[in-house]
Amino acid sequence: MRSYVIYVGKRVLQFALVVFVGISITFLITHLTPIDPVEHAVAQVSTFGFSSPESIELLRQSLRELYGVGDNLWEEYLVFWQRLATLDFGPSLSAFPTPVSELIGRAIPWTIGLLTVSTILSWFIGNIIGGLAGYYSRNRVLRIIGMIMMGLHPVPYYIVAFVLLIAFTFVLPILPSSGGYEMNMTPGWTLKFIGSVLLHSILPSFSLILVGVGSWFMGMRALVSNIVTDDYVTYASLAGVPERRLVTSYVMRNAFLPQITGLAMSIGAIFNGAVITEQVFGYPGIGRLLVEAVHAADYSLVLGITSIAIIAVSAAVFIIDIIYPLIDPRVQVTQ
Amino acid sequence: MIAVFRDLFRYNGEFAIGFMIMVIILGIAAASFFSPYEPIDSYLVAMDAPPSAEYVFGTNSRGQDIFWQLTFAIRNTLAFGFIVALISRILSLAIGLVSGYVGGAVDRVLMSINDTFIVIPLFPLLVLLYFVLRDDMTWFVLALVMAGLGWAYDARLIRSVMISLRTREFTNTSVFSGMSMPRIVTQEHLPYVLPIVFSTFMNNMNWSIGLEVTLAVLGFTDVDTPTIGGMIFWANQHSAMVSGIWWWYFFPTLFVTLTFIGLFLLSISMNEYIDPRSRLDRMGNS
Amino acid sequence: MLSRRTFMWLAGTFLATRPALGQVLGGDLPRDQLLILENPEGTIKNAGWFNIWAINAGGQTTGLHQNAMDTFWYIDPDHGINGVWDNSLATEKPIYNKDFTEMTVKLRSGIFWSDGVEFTADDVVFTIETHMKTSGLRWSAPVQVNVAAIEKKSPTEVLFKLKKPNSRFHALFTVRWNAMWMMPKHVFEKVGDVLKFDFNPPVSLGAYTLHNFDRGGKWFIWKKRDDWQRTTVARYGEPGPGYLAYIDPGPPEKRVIEQLNHRLDVIHDLSPEGMFTLAKDSPSSVSWFKGFPYAHPDPTLPSVIFNHRLEKFQNKDVRWALALLIDIKAVSMASYRGAATISAIGVPPTGLYPKYYFEPMEQWLTGFELDTGKRKIKPYDPTVGKQIADMLRPSLKDQIPSDPADIATAFGRGWWKPDPEAATELLQRAGFTKQGERWFQPNGQPFTVKVMVEGDLRPVMTRAGSIIAQQWRRFGIDANIDVAQGTMLDRRGVGDFDTFIGWSVETWGGHPDLSFFLDSWHSQFVVDVGKVQPPRNWQRWAEPRLDKIIEEIRTIDFDDPRGVELGLEYLKLAAAEMPIIPLMAYNVFATMDTTYWTGFPSLATKPYTNPVSNWGNTKYMMVNLKPTKPAK
Repeated sequence: MRSYVIYVGKRVLQFALVVFVGISITFLITHLTPIDPVEHAVAQVSTFGFSSPESIELLRQSLRELYGVGDNLWEEYLVFWQRLATLDFGPSLSAFPTPVSELIGRAIPWTIGLLTVSTILSWFIGNIIGGLAGYYSRNRVLRIIGMIMMGLHPVPYYIVAFVLLIAFTFVLPILPSSGGYEMNMTPGWTLKFIGSVLLHSILPSFSLILVGVGSWFMGMRALVSNIVTDDYVTYASLAGVPERRLVTSYVMRNAFLPQITGLAMSIGAIFNGAVITEQVFGYPGIGRLLVEAVHAADYSLVLGITSIAIIAVSAAVFIIDIIYPLIDPRVQVTQ
Repeated sequence: MIAVFRDLFRYNGEFAIGFMIMVIILGIAAASFFSPYEPIDSYLVAMDAPPSAEYVFGTNSRGQDIFWQLTFAIRNTLAFGFIVALISRILSLAIGLVSGYVGGAVDRVLMSINDTFIVIPLFPLLVLLYFVLRDDMTWFVLALVMAGLGWAYDARLIRSVMISLRTREFTNTSVFSGMSMPRIVTQEHLPYVLPIVFSTFMNNMNWSIGLEVTLAVLGFTDVDTPTIGGMIFWANQHSAMVSGIWWWYFFPTLFVTLTFIGLFLLSISMNEYIDPRSRLDRMGNS
Repeated sequence: MLSRRTFMWLAGTFLATRPALGQVLGGDLPRDQLLILENPEGTIKNAGWFNIWAINAGGQTTGLHQNAMDTFWYIDPDHGINGVWDNSLATEKPIYNKDFTEMTVKLRSGIFWSDGVEFTADDVVFTIETHMKTSGLRWSAPVQVNVAAIEKKSPTEVLFKLKKPNSRFHALFTVRWNAMWMMPKHVFEKVGDVLKFDFNPPVSLGAYTLHNFDRGGKWFIWKKRDDWQRTTVARYGEPGPGYLAYIDPGPPEKRVIEQLNHRLDVIHDLSPEGMFTLAKDSPSSVSWFKGFPYAHPDPTLPSVIFNHRLEKFQNKDVRWALALLIDIKAVSMASYRGAATISAIGVPPTGLYPKYYFEPMEQWLTGFELDTGKRKIKPYDPTVGKQIADMLRPSLKDQIPSDPADIATAFGRGWWKPDPEAATELLQRAGFTKQGERWFQPNGQPFTVKVMVEGDLRPVMTRAGSIIAQQWRRFGIDANIDVAQGTMLDRRGVGDFDTFIGWSVETWGGHPDLSFFLDSWHSQFVVDVGKVQPPRNWQRWAEPRLDKIIEEIRTIDFDDPRGVELGLEYLKLAAAEMPIIPLMAYNVFATMDTTYWTGFPSLATKPYTNPVSNWGNTKYMMVNLKPTKPAK
């Protein structure tokens, strides 16, 4: 027990360190951007409309004061950490004065909804078929499914998404091409609204699953085919354990453990957003928000999103690390 | 070496297919040196001609012959993937070996750095770097950046292999027989680690090429250097899909997919080759 | 293999059998009362923000500034609904005193905000005073620079007292795309900090009011006001659509798909290829030109813009040489696939400008002589527009006009003849040398020219830059494009470029006054590279002869005929000096679907306004639209 406490303590330190370094690096890079949010706002105003040089100069000065940019980098860095403690990222510079947390809060439910569901679905599908394919390695149908999955896996995601989009909105237009739900609907827990959300999520989630199952499939197949040759499986088989029980309790169960680690990592990673999915299918979410923020040099928003992503992934790693010794007795906490 | 290759080719169908695909791909890439056109010049041939005897893969809306464009694109894309994989393999090998072998404080520091790289969201970082570097972000610089970001997972893998090797019997034997540390690592341990390096090499190439396609499609790369992603970028600029110029997407997609499958088959066949159990299984059944 | 034709046929067959998806669109909104338009701002990340006076905070062209805002005057970029000038909230044109230090505005009565409060001079005074005392609002700076005081003379008359003479002060309140909008005093006076007020729901001064919007910023729906008669557009009749939806339809391919599915009535812009697809496959789609080149030419002038602060571009011979190396026909094909309206002179060939400037300049251009150092050439070729039309006619047949006047409107008139020999002579006179295949500058450096373009954000300009760089490269100049996607505006401002494809010339379109862009070209505003150049003289051209022209324009009235004469002087000076290489109009492929609505503006029948859906001036479109099927 004592060694476990020390182990957890070490992990906590590691977690804190990784978060600190990761966020600091992003802070530095975002502030190196050559784009000045004030100039961006000035250009936005003057591209259309007035352009009298004196007025532009005055506008620039007042925006600089308003946004509070151009201060000492070190001070900004300290203020940033102070604010982060309360999950306040300050006002967005490209949607001033709306708080960054409000913008993220509005986009993130979509990201979590779409990506959690498609990550978990691809995990289940990939692992179950992969497990079966590993066990019944001579089954022809499973081999063909395996070939298809492995063939699809390496195709760049953009291409898969784009082909699906063209196929189901243009060639055979049966699915909506963009948005999270139908126009003029008011969000709420109504059947109509939920139905609309589901309909709009078919293409994005299908594309993610199509590309996602491959790696789970291959990982699981490899794990299972290793376990199948392990002695205890052979003994159980000779001892007359029914095949169904053999597959589920003896083989799959053991193979699932490392895959759970992978699942936790993937769930942590969903806070990166799915930039391409959102881009291609016009789906709401934080990936798109991030790209727009980068374009507008809105570093408060960029930092807000990346900080959340870094914390989420590190937290996932951390949680796996501390839970693992409890569920898998083979892991020794001393290492 | 040749014997290994013959073995693989004979007993491993995946290797044979993967190898042949890569030979074709490399052949096409090599053809770029005989191209009659400069890759970035446009409006040289008729526009929008479908595949025919004259233009095997058709021409695009920029008046370029897609076959010759593709030769350059494949060459650049492969070179890109190769450079990323090469540099990131060197990094992960060095860091994994040192970390796993030396252990202690060095290991902890290196693995902290390593874990930081694992959690930093890659895509936003690349986009940000594109903005910071702007036109200095040539495809070579992009390759360096991606190599700098693509080593962390595999370094961890190599480290864990090293840790298990270090505790094995034969290491102790070598130590007692007076072999020096660098010699033990290079002569005794490296043979176990190198296959991992090779198989992750292919995976890493797949990863970096896929990311390059994504970035190019979004316009975050140097579009003047023809790559597979760059070809799709230009096709999008001309709305090729809705104007029916399907061959402008089809051939780049086909060949990048083939490249991926080829690399992938090579990687899994290598994996099987280095795993003795499945190797025995295979030979016993053939 | 599958040919393009077979592919399209297959796609078409599928399209014909597709289920009727269009009916579920818009929830409960009756489709025959709904007009769906593209908002080119895309997804609005801060959708619940309607305070348009705060900069950068929310969307502007979500229907908000088109249909819920109003101000004194509108200038049409084309012919106008009732002439180019429209008195909107004002009843007559601005009334200046003799030395342009005071401006009186007479206001319309009987105009009401959507919450039932009447619009009066109090709103105007409040709007101006709020901008005078609050910094950082969209129009704070020009108000603070110009206005000394504002007085309410009566509920329908206000007097602006200016800090210094300004004969163009009314431009601040004259809509060309947008202008300074009026605030509802009764709403904003209760607000503490105007900069932090979201104005949700907005109180409208236009004929529509907010009905519903997506918190995620993908769509905004506006409903026709029951009391639309109490708004300024009512002078032209009842707006047709009961509802307007401004949506983010995604990239050009998706816009084409959506219009083919009749789910997007007004497309803001497309790629040329997307436009041709609609022209071919969507019989119900119409555009500004009935046939080729379809697009609406916006009154902006895409050009090659030199950085005059770089030594290599300071000699006009070099700039002229580069112009003579451009084959405008190839540029037109590469950028717009021929659907460009070319211009050789420093104003866009759009709206009423052919009449004001292009016709008078034609003879001067034909006689214009350029001294190359060895000989004199006449570089102008008046037949280029016709040549482009002839080049396209074999493939597009009767889509291409044959009447010379129509060709001039659609494709433009003449341009400079490509003349590599003259370019060589000019460069040699400037001290440049050719060694082997490559050109070198007088200082011995290779002659490199980077052409900055915006990549994906402006595909057509990227394509133009790409072909121009290629043409220069063929001549032995080390020219390449430089994609500055997302950083273009910043680099343009600080002068971090060799040349770029963009515009420093924008005009009213319908009105011949050039002050809209020319005033900022005065050398008094030019700053050094590294400092931010105020818009729009991005080329940092400083020319005493131009300053004299600008100074005289400042002293004359907006409508003074002398303005056109001075404009012609500017054009001749700009042709001789070639500070920028004008290319063509910014052609916008605004496409309208007539399945549900008719009465869209078009050049041949009804050129009453710009159909490009993000212009504030499109409010006049709504009163001209009629449902195709009469209401049941």
